[in-house]
Amino acid sequence: MEKIHFSRKQLGIPYALFLALFVVIPMLLILFYAFTATVDGKITFSFANFLNFFTSTAKLSTLLMSFTIAIISTAICLLIAYPIAYILARSRLKKKNVLLMLFILPMWINFVLRITALRELLDLIGLLGSQNYLNVIIGMVYDFLPFMILPLYTTLEKLDNSYLEAASDLGGNKLTVFTKVTFPLSMPGVVSGITMVFMPSMTNYVVSDTLSNFNITILGKLIDEYFTTYDNWHMGSMISIILLFIIFLSMLFSGGFKENKQETRGANLW
Amino acid sequence: MKHRFASCRPLRLLADLLALFLAVPFLFCLAGCDSKQETVLRVYNWEDYISEPGDEEGEDEYVDLIAKFEEENPGIRVEYSTFGTNENMYNELKINPGGYDLVCPSDYMIMKMIEENMCEPFTDDFLQNSNYAAYASPYIRELFELNGWTKYSVAYMWGTMGYVYNPETVKAEDLTSWAGIWNDAYSGKSTIKDSVRDSYFLGVAYVYRDELEKLAEEYNVRNLSDENYAEYNAKVTQIMNRTDEETLEKVKDSLIDLKKYLYGFEVDSGKQDMVTGKISINFAWSGDAVYTMDEAEPVYNEDTGKLEADGVYLNYAIPEECSNIWFDGWVMPKGANVELAQKFIDFLSTPENAVANMNYIGYTSAIAGDAVFEEMIDWYDESYVDESAGPSSPNGGRGFDEEGHPLQAYDLNYFFQGTGSYDDYCIYVSEESLSRQIFAQYPTEEVITRSAIMQHFDNATTTAVNEMWEEVKGLPIPVWAYIVIAVIAAICIFVLLSFLYKGRRKEYKPKKGYRILKKGF
Repeated sequence: MEKIHFSRKQLGIPYALFLALFVVIPMLLILFYAFTATVDGKITFSFANFLNFFTSTAKLSTLLMSFTIAIISTAICLLIAYPIAYILARSRLKKKNVLLMLFILPMWINFVLRITALRELLDLIGLLGSQNYLNVIIGMVYDFLPFMILPLYTTLEKLDNSYLEAASDLGGNKLTVFTKVTFPLSMPGVVSGITMVFMPSMTNYVVSDTLSNFNITILGKLIDEYFTTYDNWHMGSMISIILLFIIFLSMLFSGGFKENKQETRGANLW
Repeated sequence: MKHRFASCRPLRLLADLLALFLAVPFLFCLAGCDSKQETVLRVYNWEDYISEPGDEEGEDEYVDLIAKFEEENPGIRVEYSTFGTNENMYNELKINPGGYDLVCPSDYMIMKMIEENMCEPFTDDFLQNSNYAAYASPYIRELFELNGWTKYSVAYMWGTMGYVYNPETVKAEDLTSWAGIWNDAYSGKSTIKDSVRDSYFLGVAYVYRDELEKLAEEYNVRNLSDENYAEYNAKVTQIMNRTDEETLEKVKDSLIDLKKYLYGFEVDSGKQDMVTGKISINFAWSGDAVYTMDEAEPVYNEDTGKLEADGVYLNYAIPEECSNIWFDGWVMPKGANVELAQKFIDFLSTPENAVANMNYIGYTSAIAGDAVFEEMIDWYDESYVDESAGPSSPNGGRGFDEEGHPLQAYDLNYFFQGTGSYDDYCIYVSEESLSRQIFAQYPTEEVITRSAIMQHFDNATTTAVNEMWEEVKGLPIPVWAYIVIAVIAAICIFVLLSFLYKGRRKEYKPKKGYRILKKGF
């Protein structure tokens, strides 16, 4: 009986196929649609969509709006998630996995359902219908908090205790240890948490539609409108490309592409 | 040789497996095709737009119309798929030409498809001898004839647009005009549609309300047989379909102005929000209005008459300036199997099946006929049932409402006359019911005379209207957002600068000797 043997290359084939079919080709299609226009039933090369986006006040204000909402939501997420992740990772609790599970538990329920429930809750408090911006931010934070907690937790948990001990030994007080050692070492978790929260906050229009009663339009909604109701795939693709570019830029600036160090390996997966 | 064979083996195994996977469905298909010679009818319809059996077990009040059709026509299988918006449907037809035998778009999309020569015409035999010819409401048929759609399309469901409101919190006289929701008194209490065409209609009606009112006074048309009806209706339709730049600008301003009075926009949630009392006024399609009113009503036990669930009687109002009459109709895209498609429409057009559809969908069928009328009597007529009464006056309007006033006749002759055996198609209801479900289900003749069909816009106009809508939805950004953006930008610049400054301080030039030393190693 001969052993069935796969080489590494062969094992990569399924994913390569997947990558080509569902990532590369669609991306090329989006690019194609973004830089073309349909005139009298014929598709021609065109920069019109690009120019249109940057000259339309409605689109630019939508972009600004989504950007603002995403930044505020991400910042709040980070402020809430960091202490929690820190406490969880540093605690010697035996059942801390159970605690962690409690934070991730909401993710197991369909998020449309959760947001609908949140809508009723906000109505009960009296915010619904009057505080649209606040509601959307509450919704985004509620929805994406686990995505911030998880990467932070994994990085902080893997943090080598000897670094901290060394820092205290050398005379650092608790604050110095945190600002000079713990926080810089947890940066990869922070960065991946930010990218995990920031990007969907700009596009998750179920949250903005449901909690603001369709009063707030964010970029994701605009893309959807262009594909479904306005019947203009070219503009929809262009907005997607611009969104992609913004995310790419934010990754670049936050150092998301830097080569991973030993202790941060895996944290960026989240 | 042997070695090479061995290394190939897993790959061959994979290939064999793959081949098997590909072949299995094909074999199944062969088996299926062999056993019975089937013709397939491919129907493409709105979601939830045909009577289907309920999801829950034991819920058999709804007729499975597709199964019934297949049963009555052995050898025909219906391949039923659904779409969510007219534009999705249109795109699908463009991508997949000849992929469907029967589709059900809305009025303006039908116009567009006819204009673009995308539809197969119905046969003369169908137009003269089918159930549709016999039972479709004469009013609907005339409307289609007048607009020149008869050859390419038959109506399925139809209705109006208006305001559903809660009479306990909203004064009825405020909603005699579309302008009623531009009102501080109902600030944060009303919703409109998150849909360009519907909200544009509302905006135009608001902008030209004075002109429309004057027109109504001038012509004073009360029924469809009025000699001035055609002229009056054409004028209303012309006004409601204005898309010139000035109109667009005015509509944009008025809709942006309206935003501050609104609770929000909605596509589906408005019904539930009316029922739960989050809002008091909802700009709604008549079919949704019926559903909302049904849901909101208090529930009484049928046997004991005891109150089971508390509720509120909502009303439906169609403002006096004008209304929108809309419909969804069947068309056969080019390349369709005309014979099969016509058979299916013929089947749907029997009054019994129309009743089944109305029961399930809640919208008003374009099919009239006695079975539909009797169902309406069953739903709405409040007079005493008298078995001995002849067919000409089913219940005769005997009886009084709770306050002792005589019941009022709700005249539906314009819709039903000529499709059945009754002499007089009147339903007798109490005065307060006049503005409830029945009014949404079948508007009065007077409302019909001032109802306009919204035309299909050409591409340039569509783009302009969409851009107008985008600005309504997108603007304005509140002042605090600008402040926040400015603060964030300032922080970013500060952080960036401090990094740069730090970086420069650290970056010291290595001494010459060091480099030489390093090289020497």
